[in-house]
Amino acid sequence: MFGWSGRVADVSLSDRTALFATTPFYEDFVGGRGLGVRLFFERATPSIDPYDPSCPLVFAIGPLVGTPAPTAGRMCAVSKSPLTGTICDGNCGGFIAGKAKACGIDALCIEGGSDTPCIVVIREDGISFEDATSLWGMDIPSSAEALRARYGPAPGILLIGPAGESLVRYATISTDDLRVFGRGGLGAVMGAKRLKAIVFQGNRRTEIADREQLRFVCQQARKLLEANPITSRGLRAFGTPILVNITNTMGLFPQRNYQASHTDKADLVSGETINTELFVKRRACLACPIQCDRLTRAGEGVTRGPEYESVWALGPDCGIYDLPSIALANKACNDLGLDTISCGATIACAMELSEKGLYAASASFGDAHALVPLINDIARRSGAGADLAEGSARLARACGAPDLSMSVKGLELPGYDPRGAQGMGLAYAVSNRGACHLRSYILASEILGIPKLLDRTLTTEKVSLEVVLENLNAAVDSIGMCRFTSFALSEEYYSRLLSSVTGVDYSEEGLLRLGERIWNLERLYNNRAGFTSEDDTLPSRILHEPVPSGPSAGHVCRLHEMLPDYYRARGWDEQGRPRQKKLAEVGLDHV
Amino acid sequence: MYEEFKRIGKTLFGLGIVGSHSGNMSTRSGDRLSITRRGSMVGDLRDGDIVETGVYEDDSGILLASTEIKVHRAIYQKTPALAIVHAHPPYAIAMSMLVDSIVPRNVEGAYFFHRIPVVDAKLGVGSDESARVVAEALKDYKGVILRGHGSFVHAKLLEDALSYTSILESACRTEYLLWLAGKKPDESVTW
Repeated sequence: MFGWSGRVADVSLSDRTALFATTPFYEDFVGGRGLGVRLFFERATPSIDPYDPSCPLVFAIGPLVGTPAPTAGRMCAVSKSPLTGTICDGNCGGFIAGKAKACGIDALCIEGGSDTPCIVVIREDGISFEDATSLWGMDIPSSAEALRARYGPAPGILLIGPAGESLVRYATISTDDLRVFGRGGLGAVMGAKRLKAIVFQGNRRTEIADREQLRFVCQQARKLLEANPITSRGLRAFGTPILVNITNTMGLFPQRNYQASHTDKADLVSGETINTELFVKRRACLACPIQCDRLTRAGEGVTRGPEYESVWALGPDCGIYDLPSIALANKACNDLGLDTISCGATIACAMELSEKGLYAASASFGDAHALVPLINDIARRSGAGADLAEGSARLARACGAPDLSMSVKGLELPGYDPRGAQGMGLAYAVSNRGACHLRSYILASEILGIPKLLDRTLTTEKVSLEVVLENLNAAVDSIGMCRFTSFALSEEYYSRLLSSVTGVDYSEEGLLRLGERIWNLERLYNNRAGFTSEDDTLPSRILHEPVPSGPSAGHVCRLHEMLPDYYRARGWDEQGRPRQKKLAEVGLDHV
Repeated sequence: MYEEFKRIGKTLFGLGIVGSHSGNMSTRSGDRLSITRRGSMVGDLRDGDIVETGVYEDDSGILLASTEIKVHRAIYQKTPALAIVHAHPPYAIAMSMLVDSIVPRNVEGAYFFHRIPVVDAKLGVGSDESARVVAEALKDYKGVILRGHGSFVHAKLLEDALSYTSILESACRTEYLLWLAGKKPDESVTW
């Protein structure tokens, strides 16, 4: 087999058994997100509780991982989100995908739970279970250090921190070098299984069908990545926080739980300022020429990030513009295993609830020094953190003010105010895992002009583009490459890379059809789990409260102008359910 | 400044030497430059379509700038240019695929240009190579054609850069017509 390893590692923690099985579904779902979603769908009932140890947790790798294809180092994790109740996939960079692939697997499926904290060790020739009692309760850097000491200097390590162990609904799964499966609380799924870590130790190479062709396409792709100012300069020089000044200038930079979308203090937390005040070192993920990753100072220590989203959520969304405090909060989230977006947004929600006298929060807007103690409490569900560990939707509902949670399907909105970028509003609303900027990243069109500059305040032309981008990104997530390549590469490059590696002839259309198949399968799972069109909506504030000032002043998100067209374009009914004809078209009529 | 970009852009489109979404232009002020935004319609520029960034250093403006920002930067770094127009004039592009340089034979072209070099960049649009070869050529000439791609012209004012671009295309059109008439240039003429 070329590209694929041909094996799936099946692990049962309840009885500590494991085996390698032949990889199923790869013809129709390829790998990564596609394969992960298909394997999860096969094994999970729609009503399963994500905290039930029997809930499957799937890690899947794309066929391009382990080849020279640029940025081909992404891994997907799929399960049911404890935060949203939807199917949820996370996508992680760094080196973990390559380490897992080197064990000769396309996916790892974990079911059941362990009685005591445990580690699963995957090797090319077998799978073993080891005790993790001594690591339980330790933060991520300390656990990673102990695991490296135990397994050698360069294994692939996935692990959870105290937040995952405490079943915080937005706990992450982290790698030992602090790359994360960030959103949706997959770390809590792992915690519910009492699975502290997964270790990958292997040396198997990925076989390539046509090396000459691959070399040529890689060379062309690298040329385009190098020629594009975003992928060759902007992200490399500043990382994702380069967006701070851009979104603020356009009135898309949410402040104080989305009560405003512009500030005159953006410079205090911008990518440029981070470079001056915190930057330590640039890093690259496996096979990545873009190099957007970075290490920064946080107090006396060093940590990864902060990404744009982390700066925003732990900063301006909480009314905080003190960069050193934001850096410390980012480090605390990294170390404890918390999603920075949901964590910051939940704290911001608590701050507004407190401001309105609906909740006695331990912090108020602008209270930078309260952040780290509160994050520590959240990660361990202690003190004030217990309420906040449930996420903003549950917190606001419990306080009788559900509208103050800036979330969709329970997942907190990222840092782009959709009142000033209409397409982004549609993307948040229809996302299968809740409010997510990465499903389509239509913002690239609305602010960066990629693939085409669209007026961000209009709803016209957004629907068709949203559908295409969702499909394309689902496909990119499945082959194992990074989304940032799409700033410079078209689908033609992805299909050529995939064909060169696997020897299977993939067309551009076939790639988009793959994405469509994945999107429909995710939707099908959610429908069966009880989600309807009523869940494809936005917070009341976004729909009804005009932005008070700044470049987006006066705007609300006009979702009603886009949603019916979106369902039609998808081939779904008015309830947001795929019609039988569509399911047959994408080969899902039998599921 | 926006009004000037808008006026020049509209004229470039009207002359048929940029496409609906192709071509770009910039001006320099100290160590800052203003450039048309990626994906903007040069013939119909709107608020926000002019982006500012550094001549030497990156900042967030780089995210929105034209894909050919590297070429513009290299020109500003190597020449005294204060304004640059990059267009896709069809006759200039056609001639660039026939010859290695154009010595205009029409009076206006000869007066302003003497010679228009044609340069190659195997690594393509926006590459370091294209930035280097274009900027290097513009140290000695007002305008240059990147083979098969388009013209880069520099001047002190944006309107002058427009004017030179128009003259460059006119010279190439004349040359093309002369070739059609079987009147190829005298190879002994040099500049």
